[in-house]
Amino acid sequence: MTVTVSDTVPRAPSDDRRATSSRGALQGERRRLYLPMLLPALIAYLVFFVLPSLFGVVLSFAEWSGLGTELSWVGFANYVAMAGSELFRASFVQTLILTLVVGLALFLIAGASMIVLRTARGSAFIRAAVFLPFMISPIAVGLAVSFLFNPDGLINAALGALGLTELRQPWLAPELIFNVIMAGVVWSAAGFYVVLVMSAVDGIPPSYYEVARIEGASELQQFRYVTLPLTRDMLAIAASLWAIAGIKTFEIVIAFVGTAGTPPPEARTLAVEQYLRVTGGREGGLAQLGEAAAIGIVMTVITAVLIVLSRRIQRRERLELA
Amino acid sequence: MIRAGLALIRALIWAWVLFNAGMVAWVLLNSLKSSREIFDNPAGLPATWMWENFATAWSDSGLGAAAINSVVLTLVSVLLIMALSVPAAYAVARLGGRSSGPVATFFAVGMSIPFQAFAVPMVLIGAGLSRFMIDWVTGAWDTRITVTLFYVVLSLPFSIFVLIGYFRSLPGDVEEAAALDGASPFRTFLQIMVPLAKPGITTVAVLNALSLWNETVIVLMLVPEQSAQTLNVALLNFYSNMQYTSNWGGLFAGVVIVVLPMIATYLWFGRRIVNGMTQGIGK
Repeated sequence: MTVTVSDTVPRAPSDDRRATSSRGALQGERRRLYLPMLLPALIAYLVFFVLPSLFGVVLSFAEWSGLGTELSWVGFANYVAMAGSELFRASFVQTLILTLVVGLALFLIAGASMIVLRTARGSAFIRAAVFLPFMISPIAVGLAVSFLFNPDGLINAALGALGLTELRQPWLAPELIFNVIMAGVVWSAAGFYVVLVMSAVDGIPPSYYEVARIEGASELQQFRYVTLPLTRDMLAIAASLWAIAGIKTFEIVIAFVGTAGTPPPEARTLAVEQYLRVTGGREGGLAQLGEAAAIGIVMTVITAVLIVLSRRIQRRERLELA
Repeated sequence: MIRAGLALIRALIWAWVLFNAGMVAWVLLNSLKSSREIFDNPAGLPATWMWENFATAWSDSGLGAAAINSVVLTLVSVLLIMALSVPAAYAVARLGGRSSGPVATFFAVGMSIPFQAFAVPMVLIGAGLSRFMIDWVTGAWDTRITVTLFYVVLSLPFSIFVLIGYFRSLPGDVEEAAALDGASPFRTFLQIMVPLAKPGITTVAVLNALSLWNETVIVLMLVPEQSAQTLNVALLNFYSNMQYTSNWGGLFAGVVIVVLPMIATYLWFGRRIVNGMTQGIGK
C-alpha cells in the first residue's frame, strides 16, 4: 500500500495568514517540541523495524542456523536452492493461486454487493453482519471451518441428509484441502472488502443516480456508468490491501493442522513454508534462517509487484465529488 | 432477466448473513455439547448442557493462563503504542516543518512490508536480546517482553498513519486560542488537542487491541514455553492434542473464549471499528 497510501496523506494546512512577532515566537516554541515528540516513535521504528528489515535482505545471502552457529556468505545460493526446491515452488504457486482466486472471488462479491446494497433494505445491518468474520481470530475461523469440513462434519452430514451422498468428499484430504482453505479465507475477508467499497459508494451523490434513472438507465447500467467509474480509486486501494493481506496468509492454514502437525505440501503458502524453516519444522530440524529470509524477500517483491498492478486500476485524474 | 439476477444476488447476500449467524450459533452450541454429541447431533440443541466444557478448557488445557497472557500483552502493548504514536502523529501533523511529509511517508511504507520480511531478523533480535539480558544485565528474561516490543513497533506505522490524518482534520483555531490564553505548546497538546482527538485515539486503540488479540505468528516464533503463550497459540496446542484427548466440546469452548471478547467489542464499538478500519485506511 506504500504507493497508494503515502501520497494520499493530506498536506498540513499552511499557516501564513498572520505573521505577527508573538506568533513567530510561538512557532519557534512549537518547532522545538517537534523532535522530542516525534523521536521516541521514530527511533523505535527505525531501530527495531526498519534496520532489522534491511538486515533481513542481507541475511538472505547467508547460510545460518542462528546465534552461536557459523554464518557463511553464499551469495544467491538460497534463491537458487529455492528455485530448485519442489516445496518452495509448490508454496509459491499456491500463494499466487490463493491471492488471485480469492482476490477474484472478493472482487465479484464486492461488485455484486455494490449493485444491490446501495438501495437494499437493512443495508447497515447486512454490512455489520458480513463484516463480523473479519474481526474474528483467523485461528478460530480456521478451526471452525476445518471442523465443518471434517469427514464426519456438518457439511458431509448435511449432504447425506439431503440425499446427495455422492457429493460427500474427504474435504481435508491433500487434493481438496487447499480449496477448503481458500473458501475459509473468502468467508473471513469478504465482509471487509464489501464494507470498504460500500464506503466509497456512499460518497456518490444520490442525484447522480436520480439523473441516471430519469435517463432510463437500468440498475445494471447505473452500476456500469455511475458506480464503477466513481469508485475506481477505492477498488484500487482494496486491491492493494488484498495483495498485502493475501500474500501473508498463514494462520488459517496452521489452524487446519494444529501446531503438532506439519501442513501437507499441497496446503502450504509461502508464509507457512517460511515459518517451518524459521522454527526448523516440528521434527526438530535445524533452522534454515538464510532460506527463510530469502522467502521473506520474495514475498516482499511479489507484494510490491501486485501493489503496482493494483494501482493501474486507479483513475489518472483526481475526482472531486460535490 | 436482470430483475431476477438482482433478486438472486439479494437472496445470496441474505443467505450469507444467515450463514454467519448460523456459524456463531453452531460454535456456541458445540461448546456446550459433549464430544460424542458434537458428532452424533451436529446441528441440534445439546441434550445436556455441558457448561463444564469451559471449566476443563480454562484449567486443564491451560487456556486460563493463556487468557491472562493475552489480556496483559494486549493492554500493555496498546498503552505503549498509544504513548508513542499519539505525540509522534501530533508532531508530524501539527508541529512539523519541511520534514513532516517525508516522515509521514516513511511510517506509511511500514504498512505495506509483509511481516515475513521481518520475521528472521525478529527471531534473531529476540534470541540476542534475551541472551544479552541474561548474561549481562538482569540475569533473567521473559520472552513476553520481547513479544511486547515487537507488538509495539509493528503497530506503529498503522497507528501513526491514521492518527496523522485525524490530527490534521482538527481545526487550527483552537490551538491559536489556547496559545493566546498563555498555554504552552505542550500543554495545548495534552489538554486541548488530545481530548479533541479522543474519538480517533479510541478507535486506533481498539483496532490495535483487536489485531493484537488475534495475533499468532509472533508468539509462535518467539515464545517456546507454553506457560507464556497467548490464547490463539494455546488453542492451537489444544487442537494438536485432540488426537489424545478428543475433548471437542472443550475445543469449541476454547474457540468461544477467544472469540467472545472480540464479538463483545464489536457490538460495543460497532460502527467506530468498521469506519476506522475502512475509512482510516481508504482515505
